[in-house]
Amino acid sequence: MKRNLLTFFILGGLILLAVVASQVVGIRLYDRVATNLCISLTLVLGLQVFMGNSGILSFAHIGFMGIGAYASALLTIPTMMKGMALPDLYPFLKDVQLSPYIAIAVSGLVAALVAAIVSYPLMRLSDAAAVITSFALLVVLHTVMTHWSALTNGPRTLFGVPKATDVKLAALVALLALVTALAFKESRTGKLLRASRDDERAAAAVGARIPQLRWRAFILAALFTGIGGALWGHFITSFSPRAFYLKETFLILSMLVIGGANTVTGAVIGTFIVTAAYESLRGIEGLLNEAKVSSQPVIGLTEIVLALAMMAILVLRPGGLFPTREIGALLARRFGRPEKSG
Amino acid sequence: MASSSLKAVNISVEFSGLRALDDVTLTVDPEEIVGLIGPNGSGKTTLVNAITGEVPLVHGSVSLREEAITSLPPWKIALKGISRSFQIVRLFNNLTVIENIESASLAHGDSLRVARGKSERLLDEFGLSNRAEELGGALSYGDKRRVEIARALAADPSFLLLDEPAAGMNEAETDALLHTLSRIPRDRKLGLLIIDHDMSLIMRLCHRLHVLASGRTIAAGKADEIRRDPAVIEAYLGAKAAHA
Repeated sequence: MKRNLLTFFILGGLILLAVVASQVVGIRLYDRVATNLCISLTLVLGLQVFMGNSGILSFAHIGFMGIGAYASALLTIPTMMKGMALPDLYPFLKDVQLSPYIAIAVSGLVAALVAAIVSYPLMRLSDAAAVITSFALLVVLHTVMTHWSALTNGPRTLFGVPKATDVKLAALVALLALVTALAFKESRTGKLLRASRDDERAAAAVGARIPQLRWRAFILAALFTGIGGALWGHFITSFSPRAFYLKETFLILSMLVIGGANTVTGAVIGTFIVTAAYESLRGIEGLLNEAKVSSQPVIGLTEIVLALAMMAILVLRPGGLFPTREIGALLARRFGRPEKSG
Repeated sequence: MASSSLKAVNISVEFSGLRALDDVTLTVDPEEIVGLIGPNGSGKTTLVNAITGEVPLVHGSVSLREEAITSLPPWKIALKGISRSFQIVRLFNNLTVIENIESASLAHGDSLRVARGKSERLLDEFGLSNRAEELGGALSYGDKRRVEIARALAADPSFLLLDEPAAGMNEAETDALLHTLSRIPRDRKLGLLIIDHDMSLIMRLCHRLHVLASGRTIAAGKADEIRRDPAVIEAYLGAKAAHA
């Protein structure tokens, strides 16, 4: 228990430090970066809840980010604007206008509900079959978002989402996701799910009902991913279904994999590292283009470097930077006296 | 037969047409230690897998306290009170030792606090307290074996099936294990079925023996009788020895 508190204080402190630093510097860019960091943290921690504990790679999660973003948009775009932004919207939704804060929470629940329904039959699958079906699920969610024009404006950009996310709100949600991810890991469901991750057969032999455990984690993951998506929507204020597809999936996955999917520490540190790398690479890309180093514009440097970093980590350190133990446990083992009860 | 027994009746199992178990009947009573022996490939592990629901039966039935548990999924059978260990140790390698043991207790519905207390007592009992925070995968082979048995016991089973618990242990470790195992059935009011190749361990530990060869029961009864049974000697040492 003490170790988990230590982990929480270190990681939570790191998040607060980043946010406070971004405000002290007082540059608009840093404010944006810090907000994005906190939103990414929420998404990555959501994914960690499922992937880290179950050991099953899921491609589907960015789909639930999309559900969260669109749900919150539908609940908050002012009635007057809805006529323009979503001309085919169903009448019963036209007059709905909630406070963004309530809408963000509701959107998480919507994503969790959809996850509960669609994932139930998939949770008995393991290994490659589970990964491929999660990818298929992402394709289905993306296709629905792209074609359900009444709700999403189709493949076109949806405008008019009220700006509600600032760095404080994003940090608050990220801290909430951090507590939840740590608590879930130590819960009965979390512990049994981690047992099944290590050895499915032995977990069943001790009495673990694996599909049920995975299902719970998937729903919780979708809840946070949905909230993260809603936060993002209220930050960026206009988006299209393309935002919730392969590029974002790869980014979130690389954060988790580089940090180490099995630990919450890995999820947080991976998000910090990839966010920092992403922003500096984009800066370098911009500088190179301004300096006209080559006759062609430099495009895709960021993505390629990130992809190479992910490969390098997987080859050299397959479990990521924090493969098994949380930072609190590592420090306690290193410096503290051995603690008898967790 | 007492109604609180574990009974496997007329069990047959096939693997792609090949009969791995043929009409085997085995009973384990509470507080009894039964040894399941036989040459390699005789179907011992398959019988354990059949009882725990991990392989489908072609024929036969399994019952626990007169309740049919045939072809229930393994997790349900575990929750009914049958725990097992594996021939090749299967620990949760990235969980700590104490988390490994807690898992069985948690799966059976114990609270986090109860599971922790129970696991600490088991660690103590098995002399593993100083290993509590090690990762399962980092242990020595002998320690892994002991953690696996402790994990099985954390479920408070009414029957415990151990598949070669002494494999890979040295003599001192085997003796210590023998000492622990001999007390378990009475202390915990459970029936123990044990597979092992170490005949001296089996003979010292078991009340009854059940001998399999090529998927069939060739002998069953008290340990002393089995030792002298010509069919058993033949199966183990070959026809020559039996007639010598």
